[in-house]
Amino acid sequence: MMEDIKNRVHAVLTDGTLDYKQKKHHLAYIAENTQAYPEISPKAMKALSEKVICDLFEGSAPYRPRYILPDYKLALKKGVKYLELDPPTDFDEAINFLSILYVNVPSITGYSVYLGTIDELLLPFVGDLTEEAIYKKLKLFWRYIDRCLPDAFVHANIGPGDNVIARIILKIERELKQVVPNLTLKYDPETSSDDLLTDAVQTVFEVAKPHIANHQMTKANFNNDYGVVSCYNSLPEGGGSHTLIRLNLKKITDLHQGDLETFISQTLPEYCQMTLDIIEARIKYLVDTVKYYETDFLAQEGIIKLENFSAMFGFYGLAECVNQLIKKSGTNFIYGKNQEANQLGHRILEEMKRIVDSRQLPYCKANNGKAFFHSQSGIDIDIEETAGARIPIGEEPDIYSHINSVAPHHHLCNGGISDIFHFDNTITRNPSAVLDIIKGSFKKGMRLFTFNISDSEFIRITGYLVRRSDLIEFREEGSRYGSALFAANSIDNANVDKRNTKRINSHERTASQY
Amino acid sequence: MWIREIPKESIPMSELQANISGIIKSSVIDGPGNRMVIFFQACNLNCLYCHNSHTIGLCNYCGICAEACPTQSLTIDTLKKHIHHNENTCNHCDTCLKVCPINSSPFYKKMSVNDLISEILEVKDFISGITVSGGEVMLHAEFLKELFIAIKSHSELKNLSILVDSNGNVTQDEWDQIIEIADGFMLDIKAFSSQVHLELTGHSNDKILNSIQYLNSKSKLKEIRFVLVPGFNDSVDELQGVGQLMNLLFPDVKKVLIKMRKHGIRTKYQHLSEPNQLELNNAKEHLESMGIDLTLI
Repeated sequence: MMEDIKNRVHAVLTDGTLDYKQKKHHLAYIAENTQAYPEISPKAMKALSEKVICDLFEGSAPYRPRYILPDYKLALKKGVKYLELDPPTDFDEAINFLSILYVNVPSITGYSVYLGTIDELLLPFVGDLTEEAIYKKLKLFWRYIDRCLPDAFVHANIGPGDNVIARIILKIERELKQVVPNLTLKYDPETSSDDLLTDAVQTVFEVAKPHIANHQMTKANFNNDYGVVSCYNSLPEGGGSHTLIRLNLKKITDLHQGDLETFISQTLPEYCQMTLDIIEARIKYLVDTVKYYETDFLAQEGIIKLENFSAMFGFYGLAECVNQLIKKSGTNFIYGKNQEANQLGHRILEEMKRIVDSRQLPYCKANNGKAFFHSQSGIDIDIEETAGARIPIGEEPDIYSHINSVAPHHHLCNGGISDIFHFDNTITRNPSAVLDIIKGSFKKGMRLFTFNISDSEFIRITGYLVRRSDLIEFREEGSRYGSALFAANSIDNANVDKRNTKRINSHERTASQY
Repeated sequence: MWIREIPKESIPMSELQANISGIIKSSVIDGPGNRMVIFFQACNLNCLYCHNSHTIGLCNYCGICAEACPTQSLTIDTLKKHIHHNENTCNHCDTCLKVCPINSSPFYKKMSVNDLISEILEVKDFISGITVSGGEVMLHAEFLKELFIAIKSHSELKNLSILVDSNGNVTQDEWDQIIEIADGFMLDIKAFSSQVHLELTGHSNDKILNSIQYLNSKSKLKEIRFVLVPGFNDSVDELQGVGQLMNLLFPDVKKVLIKMRKHGIRTKYQHLSEPNQLELNNAKEHLESMGIDLTLI
């Protein structure tokens, strides 16, 4: 054991592709994993080690929650004693205050997954500043965020109201073309103007962000304010999620011996409960053993509250699960193409949701003792499994069928769900066409709308962005939607990692490869 | 395009019908916003560079396409005026379209106003409006009038905008049937001189010039498009004439210069050449020098 640790530490220390901070992060991960995993059944442990259930490399001894959404509004109002920060009185002080606070927010990757709803935070400090002055200050702020929080899961929100800060942030996004921060526009037809949405859509044309969140629908899932963080996770502000454990629906289908009905009555519940067991064990470790919520300054000062936390139950590989079950039963329906397959997918989700909702978990008050249900958008190691409940890349039907196939799933996923739509670049001449489709999709019950332009410089792989020019070799345009793409891109990315030190983290698994 | 059996005479005659060659449920290039586009069969021009020449003619059940079909997927009942298309065997090679001596297609079908309303209802949440196109859509003015009234009086559809994409080769009587109900019209000016127009389309442009001015005078002309075809309408005289016409129109009429593309044009007209960058720039600069705010596509 000791020899093994020494070797792993040595591998990190001598790996020239890691910068100093990344090495420190990996060393901490190795140290964390010397601890025994929170107590779970041998069967659950086996499922974890075989990646039937995946803890997304959170580490074996949780000492900070996976997703923290500080109540930045409260912090700005009260100041932060631990950081010796008085409440800011003007725009400069507010930006400086947030810049300091951000780097002190814990997360799994080491970088805060949530920067707040920026316009809401900064509008009170605008005073009589000119637009030009705000622009200059925000541009420097945005550069600071990209350089000092170099992680593709760092996520800022804007909206739903139309205002000078939101507009300037969109403009800066188009100019700077940074990967960080990830960005979501909270859209509400009642309060967001068409102009703002158009501005956002035109920003997507250039930098593949923001995502557009259905504000009214998402808001309804939470007692207070919410944020969209990391990869399409919607969570309560002033709280967040202790952990995210995801169930690999493809792998449990591979393991399943019987027919469709026994899958739903036996295999699915068994693995859902196992996933929930792991979630429960991790929560208890974090809260009771580490006593995070008693000792961290954010909790002590009320910027986060234990009562605003819950956990996330994630799933992925629904498409493969459905297709395999149907094939086994002797028919040929395909998820995303045939109603029968889509309906089976929906039935499986409803069943999972029912199981998740009927299991009381400790310290999950933010969702009345239940985990948030989350369609997990995948990570780079997912080769055979399609993200969450998405239709596999390359098999997406026409835009309306696509929306009508996936929209019914969205109301189930109170922890977030995503589908990515691809548009030909002719649509860039007609942004109002995108507005029509977004509004239509929200009428059909979609919770979040993410789209890409086919020849964009930015490529969205799972939930994060990479620059096309950062890839060693990108496949021909025609194979963009090829089934091999997911694997190809991940391999390309991995190769990029090996070539040079990479400033921006975008992989959960990096910490686990040593 | 449909790939199922089309019983062309099975709908009651009391209900007005039109020959519909296709429906695109999401188009981002046929007017503002996302639009459903309905294409009508038959055209009263025959442009050399037509990209959808199979929408020009109306089927006379001659049977040539059925004979030529390599997979024997078409059978024609000339008595009943009925085409059966076997979609299981069809491999979409388009031989039927290529051999048709009258630029028609075995795939268009008769649809009623109610049929079209059902199609629109399916996608209403996703669109800004509908665009009717062709073929030449104004050959169906009476049908359009019924369709547009049905849309504007439908509680769930009345907010949809209606645009008409026409070649303009009809008289004021036709326009007057729908001019009050339609939200706007998009027309082409294919050539300024009647002679060049005749060479390019087989017809003179007298009616078209009148149509452009009439729709403009009623503030219903939204867009005027000029497709540049080297050797035909790129001479100084042509550009000058087209520019003068554009200058007569209201400033908010969108003026578009389109590069002719060879995609989909008939084999016998393959000798046409797409404008090169120089030719395109010449035309653009000429029109812009006349003070026209031009969009290039």
